[in-house]
Amino acid sequence: MRYKSAKALSKSLIYLVLTLGAVTTILPFLWMILTSLKGGTEVILMPPRLFPSVWHFDNYSRAMEAAPLATYFVNTVVVTVTSTSLMLIVTTLAAFGFSRLKFPGRDVVFGILLATLMIPGEMLIITNFVTISRLGWMDTRAALIVPFMASVFYIYLLRQFFRKVPDTLYYAAKVDACSDWRYLWKVMVPINKQAMSTIAILNAIACWNAFLWPLMVTNSETKRVLSIGLVQFQTEAGTDYELLMAAASMLVLPIILMYLVMHKQIIKGVTQSGIKG
Amino acid sequence: MMRKRGLELGRWKGLLYVLPALVVVAVFTVYPLLRAFLMSFYTKYKFSTDTVLSYGINNYTYIFGDSVFQKALSNTFIYVLFVVPISIAISLVLAVMLNEKIRLRSFFQTVYFLPYVTSVVAMGIVFGWLFHSNYGLLNYFLGLFGIQPVQWLNRPSTALPALIIFSIWKSLAFNIIIFLAGLQTIGAHYYQAARVDSAGRWRQFSRITVPLLSPIIAYAFIIGLISSFKVYAEVYALFGGRAGPADSCITIVYYLYRQFYVNWNFGIASAAAVVLFLIILAFTVIQLRVAKRRVHY
Amino acid sequence: MKKLLATLLTVCMLLSLAVFTGAAADTQPVTVEFWHAMSGGLQNALVALTDKFNAENGLGITINLTNQGGYTDLSTKLLGAIASDTLPDMAQVYNSWIASSLDVVIPLDDFIAADFDNYEDILPGYRAEGAEFGPTYTIAFNKSVQVFFYNKTKYDELNLTAPTTWQELHDVTKAYYEATGMAAFGYDDLFGMFLQYMLQNDAGFVADGQVVFNNEKGVEAMTFLLDLFANGYARTAGEDRYLSGPFNNGLVGGYIGSSAGAAYVKPDGFEYGAAAIPVGVKPAAMQAGTNLTMFAKDPAKQAAAWEYIKFLTSTESTVYWAMNTGYLPIRQSGFESDEFQAYMETSVVARACYAQTANMAFESAFPGAQEIRNKLSSEMEAAILEGKTAEQTITDMAAAAQEILDRQ
Repeated sequence: MRYKSAKALSKSLIYLVLTLGAVTTILPFLWMILTSLKGGTEVILMPPRLFPSVWHFDNYSRAMEAAPLATYFVNTVVVTVTSTSLMLIVTTLAAFGFSRLKFPGRDVVFGILLATLMIPGEMLIITNFVTISRLGWMDTRAALIVPFMASVFYIYLLRQFFRKVPDTLYYAAKVDACSDWRYLWKVMVPINKQAMSTIAILNAIACWNAFLWPLMVTNSETKRVLSIGLVQFQTEAGTDYELLMAAASMLVLPIILMYLVMHKQIIKGVTQSGIKG
Repeated sequence: MMRKRGLELGRWKGLLYVLPALVVVAVFTVYPLLRAFLMSFYTKYKFSTDTVLSYGINNYTYIFGDSVFQKALSNTFIYVLFVVPISIAISLVLAVMLNEKIRLRSFFQTVYFLPYVTSVVAMGIVFGWLFHSNYGLLNYFLGLFGIQPVQWLNRPSTALPALIIFSIWKSLAFNIIIFLAGLQTIGAHYYQAARVDSAGRWRQFSRITVPLLSPIIAYAFIIGLISSFKVYAEVYALFGGRAGPADSCITIVYYLYRQFYVNWNFGIASAAAVVLFLIILAFTVIQLRVAKRRVHY
Repeated sequence: MKKLLATLLTVCMLLSLAVFTGAAADTQPVTVEFWHAMSGGLQNALVALTDKFNAENGLGITINLTNQGGYTDLSTKLLGAIASDTLPDMAQVYNSWIASSLDVVIPLDDFIAADFDNYEDILPGYRAEGAEFGPTYTIAFNKSVQVFFYNKTKYDELNLTAPTTWQELHDVTKAYYEATGMAAFGYDDLFGMFLQYMLQNDAGFVADGQVVFNNEKGVEAMTFLLDLFANGYARTAGEDRYLSGPFNNGLVGGYIGSSAGAAYVKPDGFEYGAAAIPVGVKPAAMQAGTNLTMFAKDPAKQAAAWEYIKFLTSTESTVYWAMNTGYLPIRQSGFESDEFQAYMETSVVARACYAQTANMAFESAFPGAQEIRNKLSSEMEAAILEGKTAEQTITDMAAAAQEILDRQ
């Protein structure tokens, strides 16, 4: 009896904490959506009104007029999908190499990789811009994809997950004459499906939202991506927040959908295969 | 003979796996990094023709004599000290709760993911409003307890705490996402066994969850440390493109960014980057040492 | 040596000029790449003008517009382009962006001398800005000027009129503050404020790499400014980011801001007025906005870019541009055109700008100018927040600025 009431108490505590957290988390998001439906004067009112007095759905069509969004959308999808798939392959190989395989200088090389994380990306832009133009990749998709094929961030994360897989599995596989290559794709990858899809989502979001780099290395509208559309609403003298938020909302919608779909998939995958740590 | 060569090659096979990643990192990260390192010793440099007129350590002596850089250093340290541990503690608790068998679990998980996709501009504006001295919700709540309105974003003394609160909030989503991924690889049988032993929630948390999640927690710590030392976007978003009132919230990367892209002092910016790099390196090495002893694989 | 080089360059320029004027007869198609930072409605106006030029120039010239984001993005991209030698044929720039890379910019004096419609017609302030490095490197394009926005409804109620001098500014804001308990003055851009008051009091700013504002007049101007803040007559934007926000909500009685920001002045329940800014010993109404510059090395492209520059700065285009964007005509004849005169009848901001055409001053560009701008902006805010004395503030600012100048 005591156990049960304690359990009920802790359950309600959980709901309370989660709800409070959810409210603060959802507020900026909600504000973004609601602002995208407000009129121009309402946006900058103080104290702010959460809900618009008149719902301006036309903000969305106005935002869409500002940039060739259809072209941008296709480009963004192509770049995000290609870049994320390539990143996943390169990262998986590297994480496996650094966690399971041994080769001379492995830890030193990994240390150097880790060290590269410590330099702020802002420092690298100009040099990389010059590199891209020397490679003749200016205004091409390669410029948007190749530099992000390897992410030390995710190599490191995946390596941590790979290292959680017990050694015994590997030696058992070796006894069965399973090659490293097969072991990676048949054992490691399925076990770490959850982690890999998390990485894929995080990378896809970063890629989807990336702004400065795509702007730097593209010039023609046929190569540009959605996030560049966002600058249309910011000028030196001020910002059209309602249009900016409309565009920002449109930008995140596909990501949320992707998350929901993949999320379901992941949960299903986990419960079906009954993955054990 | 042949066998031996096979073995020799076998030793290097691992390298093949990491090679694609190495090439990309070498070209797009290590090379520019080395250039930045060299550039930090350029004291007279003509950017348009890429000619260096003189080398020296003046950029380093300059930044260490610069009161703004000192401010940036101390702000960044205070920031890291508060944001990293607090954010990890909160997100670990939230992730464990989100992993419980609760109603609306999927809904909650999605909600906690939202900050990761919300426009940074929107977040900055909303927090600017929460902290607003006249209309802010925060001052409203403080008022309920009889506390006078605080000029959060207008005074140098309160701007940094406001930034820290905002950053903790902002960093939760990423940590929760990776902790959730980690939690789902912990087999249910561990907890079943614990329940048989009638271990309480706290014991389950401290004896099972934390140890089994330790590689991921270690990762979150290191990544949190690295990214907090590199804080920039949060400052920019919260103060609308400034470094707080009278530059009171300037951070190392903000300093570096301004020196590079606004002031076009490439040497000084690079020197600041090298200093930042060394600081992070030192902390990461210490942390990896600690983790080696503590982390359970 | 430098002189010789300059002369040689000029000779080369003239020669190439001769070549292309000869070549222009047979209309070889030329494409000119133009990088700009005009977004939203500004971009629409620029596209409309450019489409017209592309369709009607009859010389086979096509202008390829590329939006490179905001000003910061554009300057970063130009920086990368300088480093990789991939500059566009022409771009919108602030003079400070090119101050330390003049060797990649094409001087325009010969073009102006050879083929330009009445250069004297361009407002003197803009001509001076274009030639601030000696040769004319830039030509004014999207220009604005600071104007004084005020709460006309409240002013009428309190029987106040827009201040025209420092004394009036003091008296009016004092009266406003005492009647309403609210600040009546402010400035979004604190460095701009500082510079304006230095110039208005004839204290000077920087000359030949030396700080000159640390004198009695500088202290006098700073005392006037800091007193406004200390008494509560003026306030900073602070957490509100832009004063247009609190102004629209009736929380500040007036402020000085760019005429280009008029679109964001949307008062909530009152009528606003706009006037020329109050003047000191000197008028110094600060102009802002970017200019056109040319990077093309190929004479054919230079000639084509020049045709386009002539088109954009013509009376007809500049009037169209001003009426569709809120920027100002860059020509006297533009202001005086029937079209713009009719437009001014409807726009209080345009009238306030026109009243100041003879008073304009510009923020000079020199290596280190951007850094000084940032540094002094922060010093100014600190002085207001910490209640520093005017003498101390001027001394600190002068030391900080001189340190930056000495490093260049």
